[in-house]
Amino acid sequence: MSSSISTSKAEISYIQAGLLSDPPLRADGRGLHDFRAINLETGVAPLANGSAHLSIGKNPHGGGGGTEILAAAKLEVEDVDGRGEGVNGGRIVCAVSCSPSAYPHLSSSALDDLQQDMSTLLHQTLSHPSLHPPNLSIIPNKKSWLLNLDCVVLADAGNTYDALFMAARAALWDCKVPRTRAVEYKAPSNAPGAKVLESGEMDVDETAGDSAANQSGFDTRSIARAVDFELPDYWDEGEVLGGRDRWPVCVTMNAVAPAPASTSKTPWVHYLDAILQEEAATPLRLLLVFSFPPNSIPNLQAMRVLGSGELETAQIRDSVSSGEKFAQKMWDALNAKLKEEDLRRGQKARDRFARR
Amino acid sequence: MVDITIRKRPRTEAVVTQRKFFKKTARGKVIKVLRERYLRDDVGCGIQSCSSCESSGDQTLPFSGDLAHNSFPDGYFVLPDTNVFLSQMDLMESSLFKAPIIVLQTVMEEVRHRSIPLYNRLKTLVRTDEKPVWVFYNEYRSETAIIREDNESPNDRNDRGIRKAAEWYNTHIGLSRPIIRGQAKPKIPTVLLLTEDAANRKKAENNGIPVSSIRKYISSFPESVAAQLLDLLSSQDDNEIEPTRAGGKQAIYPEYFSESILQAGLSTGRLHKGHFNANTYNYLQGSVSVPAFPKPVLLIGRENLNRAVQGDIVVVEVFDEAKWGVEGDEVVDQEATLKNDDADSDEDEENDDITRQEAKAIRASDSAAQQREKQPTGRVVGIVKRNWRPIVCHIDATALPSTGATSSTSASTLSTQTLLAHPTSTLLPRIRIRTRQGSALVNKKILVAIDAWVPTSRYPDGHFVRVLGDVGGEDAEREGLMLEFGISYGAFGSAILGCLPPEGDSWVVPPKSDDNPVWKRREDLRDLTICSIDPPNCQDIDDALHARPLPNGNIEAGVHIADVSNFVHADTPMDTEASARGTTVYLVDKRIDMLPALLGTNLCSLRPNVERLAFSAIWELTPEAEIVNVRFTKSVIRSKAAFTYEEAQIRKDDPNRQDELTTAIRLLNTLAQKLKAARMAAGALNLASPEVKIHLDSAESSDPIDVEQKEMRETNSLVEEFMLLANISVANKIWEAFPATAVLRRHLPPPRTNFDKLKDILQKRKGMTLDVSSSGALADSLDKCVDPTEPAFNTLVRIMATRCMLSAEYFCSGSVGRDTFGHYGLASSIYTHFTSPIRRYADVLAHRQLSAAIDYTPLHASLHSKPHVERILEVVNRRHRMAQMAGRASVEYYVGLALKNRGDRQQVTEEAFVIRTFRNGLGVFVSKLGIEGLVMFKRDITQFDADNYTVTIPASSKAVPGNKDVTISVFDKVVVKIEVEKDKNTQKGKVKMTLVHPIDSRAL
Repeated sequence: MSSSISTSKAEISYIQAGLLSDPPLRADGRGLHDFRAINLETGVAPLANGSAHLSIGKNPHGGGGGTEILAAAKLEVEDVDGRGEGVNGGRIVCAVSCSPSAYPHLSSSALDDLQQDMSTLLHQTLSHPSLHPPNLSIIPNKKSWLLNLDCVVLADAGNTYDALFMAARAALWDCKVPRTRAVEYKAPSNAPGAKVLESGEMDVDETAGDSAANQSGFDTRSIARAVDFELPDYWDEGEVLGGRDRWPVCVTMNAVAPAPASTSKTPWVHYLDAILQEEAATPLRLLLVFSFPPNSIPNLQAMRVLGSGELETAQIRDSVSSGEKFAQKMWDALNAKLKEEDLRRGQKARDRFARR
Repeated sequence: MVDITIRKRPRTEAVVTQRKFFKKTARGKVIKVLRERYLRDDVGCGIQSCSSCESSGDQTLPFSGDLAHNSFPDGYFVLPDTNVFLSQMDLMESSLFKAPIIVLQTVMEEVRHRSIPLYNRLKTLVRTDEKPVWVFYNEYRSETAIIREDNESPNDRNDRGIRKAAEWYNTHIGLSRPIIRGQAKPKIPTVLLLTEDAANRKKAENNGIPVSSIRKYISSFPESVAAQLLDLLSSQDDNEIEPTRAGGKQAIYPEYFSESILQAGLSTGRLHKGHFNANTYNYLQGSVSVPAFPKPVLLIGRENLNRAVQGDIVVVEVFDEAKWGVEGDEVVDQEATLKNDDADSDEDEENDDITRQEAKAIRASDSAAQQREKQPTGRVVGIVKRNWRPIVCHIDATALPSTGATSSTSASTLSTQTLLAHPTSTLLPRIRIRTRQGSALVNKKILVAIDAWVPTSRYPDGHFVRVLGDVGGEDAEREGLMLEFGISYGAFGSAILGCLPPEGDSWVVPPKSDDNPVWKRREDLRDLTICSIDPPNCQDIDDALHARPLPNGNIEAGVHIADVSNFVHADTPMDTEASARGTTVYLVDKRIDMLPALLGTNLCSLRPNVERLAFSAIWELTPEAEIVNVRFTKSVIRSKAAFTYEEAQIRKDDPNRQDELTTAIRLLNTLAQKLKAARMAAGALNLASPEVKIHLDSAESSDPIDVEQKEMRETNSLVEEFMLLANISVANKIWEAFPATAVLRRHLPPPRTNFDKLKDILQKRKGMTLDVSSSGALADSLDKCVDPTEPAFNTLVRIMATRCMLSAEYFCSGSVGRDTFGHYGLASSIYTHFTSPIRRYADVLAHRQLSAAIDYTPLHASLHSKPHVERILEVVNRRHRMAQMAGRASVEYYVGLALKNRGDRQQVTEEAFVIRTFRNGLGVFVSKLGIEGLVMFKRDITQFDADNYTVTIPASSKAVPGNKDVTISVFDKVVVKIEVEKDKNTQKGKVKMTLVHPIDSRAL
């Protein structure tokens, strides 16, 4: 299941020594808690309902290097009839696929395993009920939206999980749900058929006290009337996916221990945004997925440990609390960028068009 | 060569370059569609010699615009908003409307989205040469393209786009005509935005765009033009101008359900959709056939009919079974009941009278309904599609205010009057129109279009389209008839005539040679003794026959059909026109050709003693008329004679004649008799429809002098049998060759319930049974329905049985299951039409397919496409139906004329059969004249027995001679007096029948 590249022992110890030295030394000169440059663009796939393209550490001039993720959310109508998989209120299905060119050293079955692993993490986290968007229902008990979130790892230069969650958050943030209007059949109550009879010689007891007699026979049945839906405004992209500001971000806490011989009492050193070689030299990686709902306390949505190292409870607690701070920073930066993207694609583009 | 550079469009411009929208598919999925938009700077404005637009020579708008309008001395163009085309298409199409029109792409798209028929009319308008119309692709010109704002409705966006285009045009014209020193200041025409939307007008005014409402624009024309144009205005905007009319009016009809409710109701099966059929006898009743019920859903009363008009596709709600009713048993005539209704009188006291009268009519049928079997009953709750064609009407002279009638020259004629137009068809409601030329319209046949029918109005609102001619004038009557049935009767255009052989009528079959393409793989049958047998005066002879004994004792018989597909090739203008016309229409005094006359009556027509190209089917038959084999070939024939049925019959029966032609006819006749016997044994029906012949006086004046019934001779049946044989053989061949797209014809077996009533009547009145289990059983039992004292009775029953059946239709073999191919009436498992390609388009298709099936020519790609064939056949089926109805209506009209002529000389009394009984009348069929009529009684003195189909006139009535009650029942023979009565007010000739025997109904 490892995505790591093969690295010699000497190289590993060199990298570890660098990370543990004071001041820490990393190959690209970053501090332990510095991220590489992150690039984000939304709305890249015009046929999707929401999409984003994210890269970490991409060479700004040549465009090479760096981790690259493409995420796209696509909505599909599902029947909620018990026969298919559709559920009342809609559902979310996430899938991650890895481009073989991103992992040239992996066999196809290893690639499958890797994809499977990433998909499971993303899916389990994002389809959790606490994050479920409120507006995926079309007609209660009849039809709902299925949100397919598909992510592609185009290139892996380390820290894929953080990139994956950021891209997913951006695509979901960008996602718009087409407006629908339920279509129902309800006979208006002043049926003229009844009128005609009133003027005629109708039996008294047929009308007396029985208001239903004045109505159409269809009114008396009480089943859900909405049977279908229509698109009231098909030019419109729709309304934003509800709960867009709850989608979480992931922070990977990479941990290296000072010396292999030391006891578990010695503090681990955490660092962020590992490049591939660093990942190979890191015995333990802790994935922390945080959501920061507005006006409420942060939620730890998921946690995952990767690697062969061991952690004690106390260390986990420390890691979580410091991880939360990093996540908060990432969250703020991402939000700012997403809002900027919305503006760039909306009002600014129209203004530019008008100025032309 | 123009250099083409494709520049990559940056994604940052996506909002401008991409147009995204959602689409809901039939299966309920939502898909997102993405369109790329390329904006250009060279989309032309369409004004001739515009200095800024690149000229391509096809600009249609005159340089100085239209100068005829008072308000725009410098000239102007009109730029109509979508709503103008949606509501005022007649006006825009009128030849009186001469202003150059700029049609925006946005407007075109909106019209298409709102109404496909109007969109098609708009497209025709754009293509026409008669008017300057230019389509401006405003969404693709960079200056006029717009993007939708946040929170902007699609409508607002389009309105903004239209305003922007109007603004641009006005600037553009100004810029392209700069003031040059030393020259006169150039005239700058205005581009006038026409819109009916007040809000849009206001916004345009604020932006300084010249804008006007249609009415205001027309009103400022010189008065003579204005009056005519104003009449063409649809009445939809009346409320805007006279808001008082709309207020405080009581709704007569319930509102329709909203579109979404209808859809939901239909998909849950609680509402039903079908064609609305008005009742001929009772204008307060109608029915809708829906698949969910074996019997049509009955609609009783004005509210339940709810503004449905004959032919509309409506949505009905069916009541609980307790409220079901039966079809009315009395005649309710709109003309009589609503005689005094004034066009403006929706709120008068009189109105209550009408309501009461109508309610009474309904109640009467309600009470009678108790005993009889009930029929699903419901009400109209929505309209899916209106079938509003222009309607031929008269104006009731009494409706005109006397001032208008007398002082027709004074200016007062320009004031608007509201009139009721009376359609010629009894199935249609009267239409309220507003006109300024009321007095001029009296005694004219006019064409009226329905615009709307609002719930507060008893009658639909319409507008006057044009005058057809004087009432009673044959040209007007004929044109009215053709318009009513949607028959295109225009002359063939030059593009179509261009498809004819350049030699014209001097075209001949080229001399036989191996390298001439015409002769290639064509058999030379010029020496065969071929002849044609047709009705008298037949000019389009499309079939000819031959027969000769073979040495082996068998007989060779051949059917030779005009080789139309040699002249009419797929995908040519002539082919397109023929497929649109679908069939030749035969009116009593006129034939409206499907193909240009040069082909139909000359080059294709198998005239005697000239060489003609043919498509031959040649059988080897045993003397017992069993097929040994059949082959099809293209050929060249020279017919030896063209007989009428009568001539051929006489020749055949003359024992002295032993020439080759006569023996061939006799041979054909023997075979035909055997073929017919075999067909009858297989269960074919011998159906009947009333057919009469109109004798026209002479060619000059087409006044008919008499009517007689068509005679059926042996030779009629001879030709018929061989045509059937050819059609069946061809059907098998083309179906074998093209199983997916063969053009076939079928006749579905009628639902048994269709016969219920006839069976019941026969059982009760005559003690006869009708077995409808199969066509064979039906044929047998029809044969037994004989009244020895009354030979015409059997024909009557056959006519009535025919009415119970479905009509035959063309279909594409791949579209339906093999088990539904059968032809019920002919008892054939497969059938097509092959034998009349000159007058039926389906036959032309069958020719092409057969010709490909014998590897003579490759099949045109369009005939391999199932959807294409289906589409064509749908049109052909409709045209075919319309042509039949038009033909019948034409006969009816002439029978009326003939009766009038006869009636002038003497009283016309004829024997008639009672075919229907009503509480207050009888439906009768005069078999000698082939017409149906109504005899009305005064109500309340008769005893009506709906179960036994009898009406009894009590002895107490003075009309009854002697002291015995007189009972009249269905199938009784009565004597009626027939008169043609001209309605004093509408000048509409109306056949009126009164009973003479057994009682005199006038004395009732």
